[in-house]
Amino acid sequence: MAGFDKLTEKLARGLARGTSRRSSLAWIGGIATGAAILPVLPVSRAMAAPHSAGHNRPPITSGNPQDPGDRSQCDYWRYCAIDGFLCSCCGGTVNTCPPGTEMSPITWIGTCTNPADGRAYVISYNDCCGVSSCGQCLCNRNEGDRPQVRPQSNNDYNWCLNTQSSVYNCSAAAIVGVAVEK
Amino acid sequence: MRSATVMFAVALSAITLASGVKAAPPPLPEEPIPSEASLPADYPQGWALIQDFNFNSLVDGRTVVVDTGNPAQPLKGIIRTAQFGNTLFAPAKHEIYTAETFFSRLTQGERTDAITIWDTATLKSKGEIVLPGGKRQQSVTYAGTFQFTNGQKWVLISNFTPAQSVTVVDLDGRKVLGEIDLPGCAHIYPTGDRGFTTLCADGSLTSIQLDDKGAVASSKTVANVQDIDKQPLFGDAAWIGKTAWFVSYHGQLQGIDMAGAVARPLAAKLSVGTAEGGAPEWRPSGWQVIAADAKGLLYVLMSPAGKEGSHKDGGTEVWVIDPATGKRTQRIALSGGATSIAITREAAPRLIAMRLDGPIDIFDAATGKPVHSLGTTIAFNPTVAIPVP
Repeated sequence: MAGFDKLTEKLARGLARGTSRRSSLAWIGGIATGAAILPVLPVSRAMAAPHSAGHNRPPITSGNPQDPGDRSQCDYWRYCAIDGFLCSCCGGTVNTCPPGTEMSPITWIGTCTNPADGRAYVISYNDCCGVSSCGQCLCNRNEGDRPQVRPQSNNDYNWCLNTQSSVYNCSAAAIVGVAVEK
Repeated sequence: MRSATVMFAVALSAITLASGVKAAPPPLPEEPIPSEASLPADYPQGWALIQDFNFNSLVDGRTVVVDTGNPAQPLKGIIRTAQFGNTLFAPAKHEIYTAETFFSRLTQGERTDAITIWDTATLKSKGEIVLPGGKRQQSVTYAGTFQFTNGQKWVLISNFTPAQSVTVVDLDGRKVLGEIDLPGCAHIYPTGDRGFTTLCADGSLTSIQLDDKGAVASSKTVANVQDIDKQPLFGDAAWIGKTAWFVSYHGQLQGIDMAGAVARPLAAKLSVGTAEGGAPEWRPSGWQVIAADAKGLLYVLMSPAGKEGSHKDGGTEVWVIDPATGKRTQRIALSGGATSIAITREAAPRLIAMRLDGPIDIFDAATGKPVHSLGTTIAFNPTVAIPVP
């Protein structure tokens, strides 16, 4: 299986460069599904691909020990359900769109556990729209992803909806509350 | 500059002659310019249209015409398929159709959604049909968001605002016929003579037949076609005749007969089977994960690292299943892995194995042996292949 590891890495790199952006972002209705706490996933080897998260980039950190981790990496705790280019690598920040873009009002909600305080936070993944593809720091995870027939849990849609332009640039991840434990 | 070059050449040949060395050959002939290539209007069966998602510049998505049998020059030409575009192929009409979205200032300005009609020989546009409402569904490539009906005279296009609907377009008449609301349902599978089936969020399907004006003539829902929580079906199907074959995230195969006015799920409970070596288990994985050949065999892209969330990671083998017997007939090892597969319709069919980061490998579908690699010579992010039928 040693050979297979390499293969998996190749495949994962392929995905990282190429695929499923989209969207992440399912509706606010996703809050309901977000109530189940998703685990923080191990670093995907996918992100070793050029221009993807983790490529020889100095860390981008908050400086706040209660919000630990590198915001240019897919394993940063808030990105537990993100899909797309990280706005932190595109001129924006973890929760802010880059200059010149417009934040989509329609989002998908994930629930991610902060390793520093152990709390589960509701994260709103908002697309930033109106500038061409950022192309940097691509992350893609599909835990809980379902076919397009269920939009609120499908990450293949372009969620730059109800914005002046539907051209996708990157995705931000903002804390919108603390999840209520089941 | 030019005259200096000519003088130098004359001087050089004089020296050559004087020294008794063999005379230089005559110069290469002049070549006519401008010079533009064209393609045969009828593509050979080893060719395919491959959608290039071009994630790093989605506004510049493309569809490439590919000769899968020519590793030296596989890329025959490119047409535009902008901004999460879709592609359809009508070889009998010598036309390719793309469904696209544009903004008047590339990334900003007025939005226009349109179908562009391309000539197969020149790869130049023959016209377009503008779509109303700026609502065309944009997503990673699915065949089911842009489909023919009514003997390829019409096309159907998915809309997503996020309200879901389908726009009906008369290709021959170059006009939009109407729009059908489809709340809670996604994707289009041609059904009957003039209609389609769509999959709905409660696990049902709905089949709609259209009248000659493109309006709904009949609508019928069939319940319990899939369990979206436990056995969700991948969106894109493989067609054997008028039966669409779907595979679930866990490897169950479901045939749905689309020949009549109402889709009919087949009763047979088939599966891709299991195998040793999975960690934790073998599951279908990738983007275009299921394909069919002309003989009616199904090909499913499989990953040994199957688990929740692995369904788009891509696979390392293709498992071949005969749906007539339910038996698995072959396992094909993919040397480079793949995220999408397709089978050509050649007399000796070939398996096209594509990776989303570009590489495309060609295998003999019957023996599973590698034929050649086309490398990363064709597309940045190949998502879906349409082999010449």
